[in-house]
Amino acid sequence: MKLRHLRRGTQALGIFLGLLGITGIGMTHIIFPGLHCYACPLSVTICPIGLLQNLVIAGTAPFYLLGVLAVYGIFLGRGWCGWFCPFGTVNDLLSWRKVRYRKALSPLKFLVLLGTVVAAWRLADTWFCKLCPAASLTASLPYFAMGLTEPTTPFFIHMGTLAATVLGMIVVARFWCRYLCPMGAILALFNRASFFGLRLNSQKCTGCNVCQKACPMGIAPHLEGNSTNCIKCGECVSSCPQRALSLGFSLPGARGYAPLRFPWSHSRVN
Amino acid sequence: MRYFFFALACVIVGVAQEINQIDLVPAQPENLGSWAQVAQPLRLYPTLSKSVRYEGPSLATNLFGEISLGDAQYVIMLGVSAQNEVALWVDFDGNLRLTSAEKLQPTRISGGLAWSFTLLARPKDGNPYEYPLSVLWPEGRGYVFLLGGCPLSGSFQGHKIALVDGDLNGVFGTKGDFLGVDVDGDGKIYADPDGHEYFGLSEAFTLGAKSFKVREISPDGRKISVEETSYVPPKVPLIPGSPAPDFSFRDFVSGQELSLKSFRGKVVLLDFWATWCPPCMASLPGLRQLYSQFHAQGFEIVGVSLDESADDLRQVLADQGISWPVAFEGKRWDNSLAALYRVYQIPTAYLLDRNGVIRYRDLEGEDLAKAVAELINEPAQTASSGASGLPELSAKAEPILEITVPKETGLRPGEESSLSLRITNASPYLAEEIRFSVQGLPAGIVSKTPDIFDLPAFGERTLSLTFWAQKLEPKDFPIPIKVRVEYHYCIAEACFQMVQEAETTLVFGASKASGFVLPWWVLILLAMGVLGTWLIWGRGLSAFSVFIFALALITLGFGVYLGQARQAQRIAAVLCTSCVGIEEPHPSQAELSSELRLAFAALPKASHLVLFYTPWCRACPYAKNLVTEIAQINPKISVEMVDADSERGRAEKAGVVVNGKAVVPAILIEETGKVLFGTNDLATRLLSALKEIP
Repeated sequence: MKLRHLRRGTQALGIFLGLLGITGIGMTHIIFPGLHCYACPLSVTICPIGLLQNLVIAGTAPFYLLGVLAVYGIFLGRGWCGWFCPFGTVNDLLSWRKVRYRKALSPLKFLVLLGTVVAAWRLADTWFCKLCPAASLTASLPYFAMGLTEPTTPFFIHMGTLAATVLGMIVVARFWCRYLCPMGAILALFNRASFFGLRLNSQKCTGCNVCQKACPMGIAPHLEGNSTNCIKCGECVSSCPQRALSLGFSLPGARGYAPLRFPWSHSRVN
Repeated sequence: MRYFFFALACVIVGVAQEINQIDLVPAQPENLGSWAQVAQPLRLYPTLSKSVRYEGPSLATNLFGEISLGDAQYVIMLGVSAQNEVALWVDFDGNLRLTSAEKLQPTRISGGLAWSFTLLARPKDGNPYEYPLSVLWPEGRGYVFLLGGCPLSGSFQGHKIALVDGDLNGVFGTKGDFLGVDVDGDGKIYADPDGHEYFGLSEAFTLGAKSFKVREISPDGRKISVEETSYVPPKVPLIPGSPAPDFSFRDFVSGQELSLKSFRGKVVLLDFWATWCPPCMASLPGLRQLYSQFHAQGFEIVGVSLDESADDLRQVLADQGISWPVAFEGKRWDNSLAALYRVYQIPTAYLLDRNGVIRYRDLEGEDLAKAVAELINEPAQTASSGASGLPELSAKAEPILEITVPKETGLRPGEESSLSLRITNASPYLAEEIRFSVQGLPAGIVSKTPDIFDLPAFGERTLSLTFWAQKLEPKDFPIPIKVRVEYHYCIAEACFQMVQEAETTLVFGASKASGFVLPWWVLILLAMGVLGTWLIWGRGLSAFSVFIFALALITLGFGVYLGQARQAQRIAAVLCTSCVGIEEPHPSQAELSSELRLAFAALPKASHLVLFYTPWCRACPYAKNLVTEIAQINPKISVEMVDADSERGRAEKAGVVVNGKAVVPAILIEETGKVLFGTNDLATRLLSALKEIP
């Protein structure tokens, strides 16, 4: 339980940092390590996906963006999704149905990322932003409330994507993070190599699958911990009756298991 | 004795060549024509490389610019006080100190402010002379227009002759300077760039049966000498009252052979256009209506298309339902008819009467309809009245891009080599459809040029051209090549096609190019590193992760070095309402219905609109075009464009900044202080907001 309290604290920090604009400090040079619309009236940090599209349109080689994302990725990997991302927090709060992860849908978020880049390149427009549910929540709705925009087609499209995503989250826990988030796709690339991760004591693990039932992403943490779909939230750690799982900072090569070495097999190493 | 023969030889050569010396004196541009004043944009900067001291009360904004007239350099400063008073400081004495004595008050002109003053030009190896200049500031912009040219005039063999410093550099005889010669002796010089009395300094002009060209010009322009040269036929006049040069062409759609002469007896509109020219496309519906109204009474349109793609043209002709003949050569500006009519900008249109005489030029809309009706009702074979319709050309076609290429680029057989090319738009206009080609490449070397793109005002972009050769010997090198850059740009309704070339050399071996090359290898290593983490396991992964972390920090460092952190912040600090899908995106061309046009035209109150935009905003071009169009419809409405990014203070004051974020496009109506955001129903909202002005 303690781990979850700590996590709620960092998630609250994520939301707080996302709303720092209330202090009037204005936009900074910092890239946000999560999905958070920079059009939000209170945002002071840059949405990496929005920036990525703009850089593709401008034809800039994105050194700064990719460097920052790689630093974030090596530091926490998808831990940002589980511990920080405000939109991940919205997903978290609606995580009631922790159904099994559908492996067949795993490439979808990478396709969303690819589609976002290709659309920006070929159509020279930020198409992902026009559909992004995080933008619906943190930009369209606030601006509508402030009277800066009127209920037009783009507004209704945003409300539609938001409603569909919320419905998805209710039916499937962490629906957005599991299958669609392009930011999650970028961080997933670094997940295995990041310094923050799950550790498994395979001597203690009995393979009871309790952790799998607790996992909001619907994976089996004792077999697929630190895989592209693990958000390192630590729900499995608290649930394990044998205390075989632990979460923390460690060297990625010394975590006791390497599930991605053989992604097709679920055999444990050690 | 030797000296005597030498002197005699000189005299004989001099007489044989008939060197004629002409003395020129300063002339009033008004007495010559609008062509005698040349306009050139001059960019202003917040600071200059040299330190300039300003001595005076503090200003809200100040921008500096530099004017070079020969060896003399003058700093100007545009200052706006907190009370919004604008003034110009000119460092007349060149001591880099701007004092109150050097402050000039503006005169208001339509759309901006103007200052006139005289500077001393110091051409190298020449006498200093007075150079009158005007500075025009389109209010709110980061640049001014310099207006001048120091026209000088004189007389040669009874014909008026004028010399203009076309590049405004204070030295006569340099590239861009030109002559106006009254070759037809009517007392008036037609020296617009497409006029028949305009001559570049290397161009010969013909008086009677003899042709002359410039031999020498003194740097101060006061003396020029001309010499006789082989006969060149005079340029055909294209002014109202002169017969239109005949030509024949094959109609693009029917394939029928036609000539301009075959339309004699009809009123003909000769229209030079292209599908890539937005103002030309905008005029098509009006032309179609005019054609259907007057065709039966003897009105004909002959279109000359400067397109390259026959498919594009066919598509537009079909979509727009155009039934008049169109001449097409597929050579863009190398079109022979455009050369015959000296067309250097489009749209250009000549209206000919029933006798094939040019009567009007570049008329549009109602003026065109009125003129067509007038000429239709005019019986054939009457003497032309020589109606005056000579256009007032606003600007001259000039290259607007600066192309920087390394002096040489290394090339090794079997290896790809790349040349980094920096393109800077030095003008306030959008350079459209920039395309590249490489000239002078021998067989065996393949080049790959960048894709076609647009470059916004004052924009900059670095591109790479790649070369590859399978087999080449060191003896084949060096290979001089030319990078050809082709593009067009529009100033209001006039569009210009430009071709610029940059020279470089391919040398054998590795490139010695000194320019900053983007560290692509870092990105490639980073990507390979990330892929590597999927293959490596065990303790090796720890070391690998540390390696990637270091690479990530290097990448980030390069990004910061390249100014990308600032770029990211600028992108994010702007809320472009259509970019994030809060609003519907609009086409960049604003289209106003005729009811709205009438309503805007009927607005009785004067008003000043301030449009806040940013370079990153994709909905802003629509708003810009809309307000510009409204200002054209109703002269009582003035428009000012403000970059909300660089003029943050003004944007904040106007209430365009919400929680530190500039919301663009936003239009401030100064009289009421009301701000309109976004682009949805913008024209209607703007109309009702303008009606609220008390």
